[in-house]
Amino acid sequence: MPADTAASRNLASCHLCRKLADASLHQCPRCGEALHLRKSNNLQRTLALLVTASLLYIPANMLPMMAYDTLGNSSGSTILGGVIELLDYGDVPVALVIFIASIIVPVGKIIAMYYLCWCISKGRAVSARQRTVMYRITEQIGKWSMIDVFVVSILVALVHLNGLLVILPGTAAIAFCGVVIVTIIAAESFDPRVFWDQQEQSNE
Amino acid sequence: MPSENDANLVACPSCDLLYNVGGLRDGERADCARCGDFLTRVRNDSLERVQVFSVTGLVCLAIACSFPFLSFKSKGLESVMTLPQTAGGIWDAGMPEIALVVASFMLIIPAGVMVLLLALSSCMAQARYFQWMKPLSRLLFRLQSWAMVDVFVIGVLVSLTKIAGMATVVIGISFWGYGAFAVFFVLAMSSLDTLQYWNQLERLHEASNAR
Repeated sequence: MPADTAASRNLASCHLCRKLADASLHQCPRCGEALHLRKSNNLQRTLALLVTASLLYIPANMLPMMAYDTLGNSSGSTILGGVIELLDYGDVPVALVIFIASIIVPVGKIIAMYYLCWCISKGRAVSARQRTVMYRITEQIGKWSMIDVFVVSILVALVHLNGLLVILPGTAAIAFCGVVIVTIIAAESFDPRVFWDQQEQSNE
Repeated sequence: MPSENDANLVACPSCDLLYNVGGLRDGERADCARCGDFLTRVRNDSLERVQVFSVTGLVCLAIACSFPFLSFKSKGLESVMTLPQTAGGIWDAGMPEIALVVASFMLIIPAGVMVLLLALSSCMAQARYFQWMKPLSRLLFRLQSWAMVDVFVIGVLVSLTKIAGMATVVIGISFWGYGAFAVFFVLAMSSLDTLQYWNQLERLHEASNAR
């Protein structure tokens, strides 16, 4: 027996207000949002945004994130450089937080989303539940990558002793902001319900 | 098997399976049996909770914006920063794009969400319906995922430990104000249930049409 899904009754679930309405309406009768059975072009959109994020991640790591200007001597450090600096000072917990938020989370999220897109394009529908859970985790951890950008903006505003010590933001901050925003939109464009549709089809 | 055209019918957002959630009583929640995603939670005092948490949160935010946030002292020199300067500093340093993103994520969007929550939940608690409630509710649910209050709090803590060795850092009143705001923001958001909120708004709309 096929699963009793909204799509099997030609009902679309509004992604904003969760109202169920006839899919032919194209607009949610309750809140007015666009209505689709499945998010439109979800795979193409997600992949396009993922490629953008991967490209932005290169300058985000190569360029300096933050620069110290001490008595006229300036020294910049990249994301990874900043983590190593913190380790040298013996500040292991903070180094770990920055490493997880700025490297593990965005890289993990991008790889996981590529993998999920690959699974959908292959159409081999096994363990839909596992993949749905994987998607939900990647969706929720994304915003935590903003930590490093927040740290830079706080330090720039706070450490401003003219002539003695000034902290300046680096160009990498812009690229990194881009990575975070683009990956959040990529996760929003992805539709995990396609896993279940494919599993349903292979069961028939 | 859930019946057709039932107002209590809801589809799981992750796997599209249909559920009838009409039988839920106060305090009960429903999760999808197939994929485990959260469906809805019924709480009769949800609107009162949202009202209380958003008022308290906004008061804390007002405190957080009107006092020094952190100050930094080294060799007789001192620099004091307020909360809005988190974005202002990076703006002055020549990166207005980042300043706008940071200001939006940690201050403007969260504040906007709290104001919207307060206005909408107050009207709904008094069973009033106005034309502007639907578009503003849409705005509220769209903005939700871009508020990064909790991430900013961790960012502040990381910054503190990062420069603690360089000089003396003094924590201002505003720091505690923002911390409290973050707590009430998370509480208010967790008291808001998307499905129940919209069902209630729809009932109010229908009642005002009938009148």
